[in-house]
Amino acid sequence: MMDVGRHPNITLYSYSEVDALTGFVGNFHVTIRRKARYVVESECTACNDCVEVCPVVVPDEYQQGFSSRKAIYIPFPQAVPSAYVLNMEECLGNNPIACGKCAEACEKKCIDYDMQDELISIEVGAIIVATGMEVYDPTELDEFGYTRHENVVTSMEFERLICAGGPTEGHFLRPTDRETPKTIGFIQCVGSRSENRGNPYCSNVCCMNTVKDTLLLRDHYPDIEAKVFYIDIRAFGKGFEDLYKRSREGGVKYIRGIPGEIEEDLETKNLLLTVENTTTGQLEKHELEMVVLSLGLVPRHDGDLLKRFLTLSNTSDGFLMESHPKLKPVDAPTRGVFFAGCVEAPKDIKDSVTQAGAAAARASILLNAGKVKVEAITSRIIEEKCNYCGICARVCPYHAIVEPDRKAKKAPVVIQAACAGCGTCAAECPQDAIEMRHYRDEQYLAQIEALMAERPHEHIVTFACNWCSYPGGDDAGTARLQYPTSCRLIRTMCSGRVDEDFVMHAFRLGAPIVLVSGCHFTDCHYISAVQWTQKRVERMWNKLERLGIRPERLQLDWISAADGQKFAKVMRELEEMLKTVTMEEIKHTMEVLSNGKAEKKATAAKKAKVKVKKKTPTKKAKVE
Amino acid sequence: MPEAKFKCLRCGHEYTGSYTPGTPQELTCPKCRSNSVRRLPEKKPAQKD
Repeated sequence: MMDVGRHPNITLYSYSEVDALTGFVGNFHVTIRRKARYVVESECTACNDCVEVCPVVVPDEYQQGFSSRKAIYIPFPQAVPSAYVLNMEECLGNNPIACGKCAEACEKKCIDYDMQDELISIEVGAIIVATGMEVYDPTELDEFGYTRHENVVTSMEFERLICAGGPTEGHFLRPTDRETPKTIGFIQCVGSRSENRGNPYCSNVCCMNTVKDTLLLRDHYPDIEAKVFYIDIRAFGKGFEDLYKRSREGGVKYIRGIPGEIEEDLETKNLLLTVENTTTGQLEKHELEMVVLSLGLVPRHDGDLLKRFLTLSNTSDGFLMESHPKLKPVDAPTRGVFFAGCVEAPKDIKDSVTQAGAAAARASILLNAGKVKVEAITSRIIEEKCNYCGICARVCPYHAIVEPDRKAKKAPVVIQAACAGCGTCAAECPQDAIEMRHYRDEQYLAQIEALMAERPHEHIVTFACNWCSYPGGDDAGTARLQYPTSCRLIRTMCSGRVDEDFVMHAFRLGAPIVLVSGCHFTDCHYISAVQWTQKRVERMWNKLERLGIRPERLQLDWISAADGQKFAKVMRELEEMLKTVTMEEIKHTMEVLSNGKAEKKATAAKKAKVKVKKKTPTKKAKVE
Repeated sequence: MPEAKFKCLRCGHEYTGSYTPGTPQELTCPKCRSNSVRRLPEKKPAQKD
């Protein structure tokens, strides 16, 4: 931190938040709110005079509440800059000044009660998101008695208790009697690897953190008997297995099983753990003087704003999703944005440093190049057709389309550097006023016509996305999985590109079944484009039903790139469905969609419904 | 979260499940694991005059 603070090329904005963020790769505009610290940091020498006279005493968050601090304080000893912060919510009041002792004590007159938040605008070419994570709150796991039993502490609290800079100056004491415990237990996977409570994922760092803690205890307090209760120890990093072995050889007992209950002896304040040892199959009871809950890691609760600013999405565990898990693990799906540390997934210090180095290198490459090469698959607005409705701007997962100005009759503008080419805008545009370069509507319609040229009633028209479903078909092929030959694939960059016109055209030409397939929601390579696919397919199901066509004939499936099994299974199931579609049904569909009258009628009926909705003053018409 | 009726357009299985209005969710049929799951429109109760 000191190096960062002193580096001539780094401007550090501490005690600040991102207030707004717009723009695109190479041209991000960031508004930073520098919160008022009520202390002139350039003048403050951290002499401590103000702290000594401050009458307000509150729990110290950094020391996990084991010690106290004043309302004017330095958040933690290594904070950069080394200047005080006055917490105005805790201060006795500055308007009118109710105390003012800190200002009186400060010789350099650094205290400024009139200081206001400052907004700073900066322009940057690349952004590295390194906002970290939080730890799981174990209070919901009542069986462990955290907050009920004083001697049950979390791994974070344990760190403070054993740290030389902690509240006990490195003397390891248990909270109730301020004595060094003779027995201690560590419970692993608290808040991790549980489908019912906490989180289903492994938090990656807890096992090795506990192994490290047991070694620390053994070195400093060899008489303490330590027991670790675990599901399984995951020591997969370099040198980790050796550490684990050292811990076992040092006398730490590893018991496979998570305690179901912790009771407290009211007299001694010792803890009685009931656990099923899954190695022996026996129910065991262990009396310990102290228990440490090894907490899992969770995404930050305040990360949504940044996600919205940068059009980022998250994986099912809530951490931010990278552009590609194997090939671009440091890049965000939004160009010019990179990840470092636990914001992307739980990871230890070594991995965080590695990723931070990679992110810095990726950003440097981008900035040094001075220009970016983008795929030519971007959208183009056909201004003559545009009616300035703005749907395209609202559906774009990358916010790459500048909203049109209906009054000034100004068509939307596509920021070419930000457009990723998913095609959702083109598929959603009701006026067909957007063209995707290299993936134009005419090209898709021609492909459909070619597929339907011979024996159309025998073919399942399958729209497969470039990143998941199409490779899923490849996977089925390379694994030599058998699936019916009736499948006819049309590759789209994203399932979001599948226009209603494509599906209806296939039905119009005699397709018995049409399948739209894409990535799973959490794998979508275009942030949220796949969600628009689902909405559109739902709309098409309703439309088909209005036209008297069985909605079942339009199928939807999310197939991942490694799921050749599912691809083959879906194709086999659709082959069975195909047999249920009669020639009369196909002819009826072709007639209904060819004369256009019924289709227009269905569209008109839908529009009439929308009009009725618009008349209701409380409801706003929404883009589906 | 409100509940709704869903129908799998692959196997025909109908079931009741929860959903978040306005937020598309990845739907999977509990019976056949297909994603062709359609949320059935709610039947409005007849209004009394």
